[in-house]
Amino acid sequence: MLIRTGIPTPEQIEKVMPSKERLTQGPVAVIECFQSIPCNPCATSCPTGAILPFDNINDLPKFDENKCTGCGICVSSCPGLAIFIVDETYSESEALVRIPYEYLPVPEAGSVVDATDRAGQIVCKGKVVKIFTSKTQDKTTVLSIAVPKEYSMTVRGIKIPKKTETDDICICRCEEISLEELREVIKQGYTDFNEIKRKLRVGMGPCQGRTCRPLILREIAMVTGRPMEDIDLTTFRPPTKPIKISVIAGDGNEE
Amino acid sequence: MRQKNIKTTDVLIAGGGPAGLCAALAAASLGAKVVLIDENEVLGGQLVKQTHKFFGSEKQYAGTRGIHIKDILISEVEASSSIEVINDATVMGYYTEDGIVTYIKNDDFYKIKPGKVIFATGASERMLPFPKNDLPGIYGAGGVQTLMNVYGIAPGNNVLMIGAGNIGLIVSYQLIQAGVNVQAIVEAMPKIGGYLVHASKIRRAGVPIYTSHTIKEAYGQDAVEGAVIWEVDEKWQPIPGTEKDIKADNICLAVGLTPATELLWQAGCEMKYVPELSGHVPVRNMYLQTTLEDIYVAGDAAGVEEASSAMVEGRLAGYSAAKNLGLGKDRADALIQDALDELSSLREGEVGAKIRKGLEKIIV
Amino acid sequence: MRIEQHPVLCFERGNKVSFTFDGKPMEGYENETIAAALHASGVKILSYSSEKNHPRGFFCAIGKCSSCFMTVDGVPNVRTCVTKLREGMKVETQRGKGELL
Repeated sequence: MLIRTGIPTPEQIEKVMPSKERLTQGPVAVIECFQSIPCNPCATSCPTGAILPFDNINDLPKFDENKCTGCGICVSSCPGLAIFIVDETYSESEALVRIPYEYLPVPEAGSVVDATDRAGQIVCKGKVVKIFTSKTQDKTTVLSIAVPKEYSMTVRGIKIPKKTETDDICICRCEEISLEELREVIKQGYTDFNEIKRKLRVGMGPCQGRTCRPLILREIAMVTGRPMEDIDLTTFRPPTKPIKISVIAGDGNEE
Repeated sequence: MRQKNIKTTDVLIAGGGPAGLCAALAAASLGAKVVLIDENEVLGGQLVKQTHKFFGSEKQYAGTRGIHIKDILISEVEASSSIEVINDATVMGYYTEDGIVTYIKNDDFYKIKPGKVIFATGASERMLPFPKNDLPGIYGAGGVQTLMNVYGIAPGNNVLMIGAGNIGLIVSYQLIQAGVNVQAIVEAMPKIGGYLVHASKIRRAGVPIYTSHTIKEAYGQDAVEGAVIWEVDEKWQPIPGTEKDIKADNICLAVGLTPATELLWQAGCEMKYVPELSGHVPVRNMYLQTTLEDIYVAGDAAGVEEASSAMVEGRLAGYSAAKNLGLGKDRADALIQDALDELSSLREGEVGAKIRKGLEKIIV
Repeated sequence: MRIEQHPVLCFERGNKVSFTFDGKPMEGYENETIAAALHASGVKILSYSSEKNHPRGFFCAIGKCSSCFMTVDGVPNVRTCVTKLREGMKVETQRGKGELL
């Protein structure tokens, strides 16, 4: 399931797949966006109106495949890098898949690379046919990869091999208080943040409790069964950050 | 103490990330004199490390990389004569008695008295409790992004990512882009929390995502060498026998953020714990005005969300603060309404459900 | 560990800077923080905690968590993840909490 794995299911892909007829007519966008998030650059960047204007910014893209020319502007405009162009008319045996690519190294045009699926697994070889890098793409390179036709809806990336390939649970970093020490004082009956602060100095170190406060509150809530919102916090006083004693003590140079 | 004369301004903004920058521009556009204080040398907050193209609509710079959105916003701020930027400076305190804000720059201590304050202080990285979690090489996801995208240094050769929310997914993708091997992404929830298009992108690069898994322990002598992960059942209980050993010289924790609200607490704003907004956040009205009338909040400090909504919240707080100072009377209401509409459309969909639920609890 | 090539970013590291780490000569760049330069040279241990003597590296890298404290030019508790490297800096592993100067 997409929400558990990050990989769209075959059923989801089925829904956004262009019709067989449209695929025979040349390049077309495949929009693999399955979650309603506030985002619309695909629609605002589409020059032909194939991605329809959104009524609500949280809409999923609505797509008119017959208006799509496969120009690929949306591929580098989509902040989620979720749009691909598939051209099954490229040759007798191969399809062209255009994918957004924001990694290094950028492969060379003409080179053969490992083509990968939606889980990053190598499925076949692909030939880098063209590399698009216009200024408006702002470093979202678009690669055209020729792959065997049967992989046109499978290949969504490429892979280039890399050169190189307790009791000591700390709760308060400043005062070095472990979870065990915290639990010990709670067990003794200190269930108020202020009491615990005076007992253990938690929240009195240089970070002023920024790191430990949420952990301690959670622990008190867990042990006492009190809701988080009922637990009083300590008093907040200046300074907010460590400062030199000389700043406070001064050098008599007051204006 | 080297204490400088008290200066005044219409609107003071603490934090120059997406929310703070947009708040400054909005308030200044209505005629407010603005002082923007930021801890870093370069403004932009976490935008400085966001190399991916943003979601949203054109109004939130969709399709533009975060690093470029930062450049756009900074150049607009620099072009504005009514915004004074104080960088490399840290706001130290807010004193409710007299409405004075103190900050430190170059070891000098300053006071400033603003008409309105907008706290756009962002969020802090969360840690996760597991044995040996303080070994060197176990870093927060933001820390990894800083090292990798700001300084151009790889955090390790083999990274184990903990957390499959948007940050965990995005940082994993950025690690792969930087040539680092991501061994796996581990997520305790039964499902991926971040945008699925991000998840699919990482899967296409061959990185496994283990949902319903958590880290059992890290191991290593002087620095992390690996970790054992295991599966959890539907009640979050680890299932013995499901352990997997993963070698890693860097474990990256992307287990969420906590709103950075220290200054709001100090000021005495009414605060409430809202899990959907990732922690304690200030009670406020729909215009982001807290229970103290001169104090506004925007961005992750108001509840951890996306940078796109942080920018709109910044605008909303900036316009509201300026309006309450009596500025921009002819235009303020329309601009405020636009920002409100943008926010509700960003939050309208299924991924906005959690935020909507959280906001219901906190907006009065 | 420095990233030489990146598909989206180019890094402006600035001039080379010499510094010492526990007396050993090292090199970094002027636009880096101390912690970043050390990490690039393979140094992950920035301090040993005062009570349990745990080795410590940085954690948040944006100056919030205090995990990256080191002694720099004799001053303890310097947040090395947000402090820029400078020529001639004397950087030392911190052991314990540091003394009042």
